[in-house]
Amino acid sequence: MTGARGFLLDRVTVTHGPARLLDGVCVHLAAGRCTAVVGPSGAGKSTLLRLLNRLAEPSTGRILLDSVPLTELDVLVLRRRVGLIAQRPVLLTDRVADELRVGHPQLTGPRIRDLLQRVGLPTSLAERRTSELSGGEAQRVCVARALAVEPEVLLLDEPTSALDPVSASVIAGLARAHTADGRTVVLVSHDLTVVRGIADQVLVLDHGHLVATGHPDQTDYVQAR
Amino acid sequence: MSGLSVPSWGEVAASLLLVALAAALAWRQRLHLTRDLIIASVRAGVQLVAVGAVLLVVFAHTGPPGAFGWVAVMVGIAGQVAGRRGAGLPRARWAATAAVATSTLITLGALLALGVIPTQPRVVVPVGGMIVSGAMQAAGVALRRLREDTHTARPAIEARLCLGLPAREAFLPHQRSALRTALLPAIDSTKVVGLISLPGTMTGLILAGVDPLTAIRYQIVVMYMLLAATALAALGSARLAEHALFDHAHRLAPLPEPQTGVFP
Repeated sequence: MTGARGFLLDRVTVTHGPARLLDGVCVHLAAGRCTAVVGPSGAGKSTLLRLLNRLAEPSTGRILLDSVPLTELDVLVLRRRVGLIAQRPVLLTDRVADELRVGHPQLTGPRIRDLLQRVGLPTSLAERRTSELSGGEAQRVCVARALAVEPEVLLLDEPTSALDPVSASVIAGLARAHTADGRTVVLVSHDLTVVRGIADQVLVLDHGHLVATGHPDQTDYVQAR
Repeated sequence: MSGLSVPSWGEVAASLLLVALAAALAWRQRLHLTRDLIIASVRAGVQLVAVGAVLLVVFAHTGPPGAFGWVAVMVGIAGQVAGRRGAGLPRARWAATAAVATSTLITLGALLALGVIPTQPRVVVPVGGMIVSGAMQAAGVALRRLREDTHTARPAIEARLCLGLPAREAFLPHQRSALRTALLPAIDSTKVVGLISLPGTMTGLILAGVDPLTAIRYQIVVMYMLLAATALAALGSARLAEHALFDHAHRLAPLPEPQTGVFP
């Protein structure tokens, strides 16, 4: 698989004390596609996501991005190429416009308005205090903050689990648009409706083992629920 | 110094009556503190007698090397105590000890180099003790605050790291908050010095018969040196803790759950 674009996980194991959070995972996450990682709680889904932007490190095995080991890339550049959006929104500043500038301090006003529109929020929100945002608005601002640094890859960790239907549908639409532009999305989700709607490929994890891969329509775990 | 009036050992023993009064009050109010109070009083007396005896030897026989050795021992003890406040942070005791040592070296070194204080042991030891004590408190507060903040603010720190910010920038807001917490008590006590309480150095000198206008000169130096020692120790411990908290890949180290309950 050398030369393949996207992420390649090569016999990746992550241990934490006696527990094996991931155990010998080998898989290719193709560039330009949306890969959903599914499985029961504690299967190792979030750990896998954190490996891809080096918030976590494999205990053994290696991970390559576009055939280059992650450890050979500048980690700060990697994290701008591979944006991660956490399950719960974490706001870091007092004002929405400042929030979008955390990773990109030179972001202009028109670009801020464009980002807000992309996540389905009114442009007037730019001057709003972040403490006044609803949960759905806060999560969409976090997505806009990640998009501000123009990542090639979006990692979404349960992005719709605590959201209202409108916010959930906006984020699903963004993931589709991201892959339509030839970029990559890796999504962890319990919401199999979302998975069926946007994923091109599904990985099923169970107790740290990769137990199935395939198209959502041909994966028992997705079809049985 | 002709007005010097120091209690005799008999008069010191008489002051034990005040301990008895406090113990009786504690017993009467059923505070379950009588035993602790008596132990603390006896321990303080024994410790001070022992320290007094050792200082007598240091002042009379060892000269400046003995005085600086004594200060070094104080730094070692203070580093361990301050490091305990940050228990759970990687290498907290090392960070605290290094910060207290650096802060003491710079502050005491500046006072000596500028000729503000002489190298006599009877000056170096008490002044060094005040510097070490101030540095210890500041390092302890800074490390404790960093430990608590790092635990509760992990999602915020990681959110910044995920945007490609380096560890130092991702950690900076929490470091600033810890430094403010560590420095504010020293700044506040400097603001109100002489208004709310007469500080220790000045009180000691006045008790020893020095006139107040002379005593305040020493006190002013003490306040200024404590500000420097506090700032240096807090900043040093925070920076060293930051180095220990993040690895070369700008990843935040896992921390154990903070202990709750009594302040250690």
